[in-house]
Amino acid sequence: MLTMELLINIISTLSIIAIPALIFFIVIYGTIKKVKIYEAFVEGAKEGFNVGVRIIPYLVAMLVAIGIFRAGGAMEILAFVLSPITNLIGMPAEALPMAMMRPLSGSGALGVMSEIINTHGADSLIGRMVSVMMGSGETTFYVLAIYFGSVSIQKTRQAVPAGIIADIVGILMSVWLVNLIFG
Amino acid sequence: MLNYIWLSLIVIGILVAVLSDWWDISTNKYQNGEISTVSIRLSNNPTIPLDKSKKYPCTLIYSEELGIIQNAELLVGNEHSGVLHISVDENTPPLWREIFKAQKNNNYLLAHVKWESISGLKFPATMTFDPVKFVKLNKVTNEGIIKYAKIAVELAIGLIGIMALWLGIMKIAEQSGLVAKLAGMLKPITTRLFPDVPADHPAMGAMIMNISANMLGLANAATPLGLKAMEELNKLNKKIGTATDAMCTFLVINTSNVQLIPATVIAIRAASGSVNPTEILGLVIVATAISTVVGVITVKLMARLRIFKRQLS
Repeated sequence: MLTMELLINIISTLSIIAIPALIFFIVIYGTIKKVKIYEAFVEGAKEGFNVGVRIIPYLVAMLVAIGIFRAGGAMEILAFVLSPITNLIGMPAEALPMAMMRPLSGSGALGVMSEIINTHGADSLIGRMVSVMMGSGETTFYVLAIYFGSVSIQKTRQAVPAGIIADIVGILMSVWLVNLIFG
Repeated sequence: MLNYIWLSLIVIGILVAVLSDWWDISTNKYQNGEISTVSIRLSNNPTIPLDKSKKYPCTLIYSEELGIIQNAELLVGNEHSGVLHISVDENTPPLWREIFKAQKNNNYLLAHVKWESISGLKFPATMTFDPVKFVKLNKVTNEGIIKYAKIAVELAIGLIGIMALWLGIMKIAEQSGLVAKLAGMLKPITTRLFPDVPADHPAMGAMIMNISANMLGLANAATPLGLKAMEELNKLNKKIGTATDAMCTFLVINTSNVQLIPATVIAIRAASGSVNPTEILGLVIVATAISTVVGVITVKLMARLRIFKRQLS
């Protein structure tokens, strides 16, 4: 697995140097092209505050609803109700809260993942499964809230159903692949 | 759609909380009003009658067989009753812990005690816990509603600085023609993904940079670049407040994004003693690649549905 390790090395190095290198390159390129870089930067950066403030109502709406759902204990009930279905596709019952938490809350999903890895071990089947779920998922509802919120869009059309379908496919693929390779 | 999801999160969340509280009350899970017989042993020899203003360190003996013996402090109310502040430690029974958490006194478990007479160091008494009700609903209020409203604002405010940085950098890249150049390079792919966005539009550059940052797991750069892309896409929007096809496609690519390095996951696996923490990497890449492809196909097909098309006109 030498090539795999090499690949990982390259990618992780890239992710460390990417930001400084990008800023360096853009500033130099701008200077060569005779852009007044300092003024251009400030002009662009002015918008940062407005965007931050503009997404607040959308974030409050989304996160409070997720907070209510989590605090009330609905996740555990839903996991119990859905467990016959998940058993059919080879997903252990303990992994289901992870699948449901992933699109809702990043920190929540991280908590579920750490707990499962602590109880079952990182190299157990379920430990590997939640690792892949964590890595391949995204906090869909947070992204939806801030991206659409930043341009004040309320009618989200096909973005939500398609996003959820992609999430479900991601989860199913995680379960299937882990069972296939490590099962 | 988001309306229904929002509605169901709130309604299901609150209903489940109400139902489980109702269940706890009807089965009296927290032993509200239940009287148990205990012994209290004072640590120091008391002067009788006990002083009302003083706290007496003592030991609560609930059951010697079960080993439920806890350190506590006795606050005397009158000659025959008082309040017990029980310190919670690793020997505390699980139910008591739950009652303690629900009582929300940060330092001790609260119980009311009554006794006939105190003659020596050790005397018998009856104990009832301070009543606990609506545990889940309380949690919904404090940990759900109030806490998350605060977190939302903290997140948004925290984003302002990094947002300003990337919007500034993007402005330089835009004015120097770099964004247009980048967009030109990836034209064959992007024009197919986003047919209604002109190939040299600034939105293209921002989207490409956002997707690249996402793939490298650079969340700090990805979000500002993504929001920048949304702003540019919105300039092409003919119906303000309604998402365009390009926005929906972009969002789906973003939420199902291909991850090359799930750094947090690898770190947690390594920390918990995995033999090979990175073994899941290949699976993550395959899983996200497939979910992205399916997501893009779905969002494109759905764009043709009449219910979504109608919203544009």
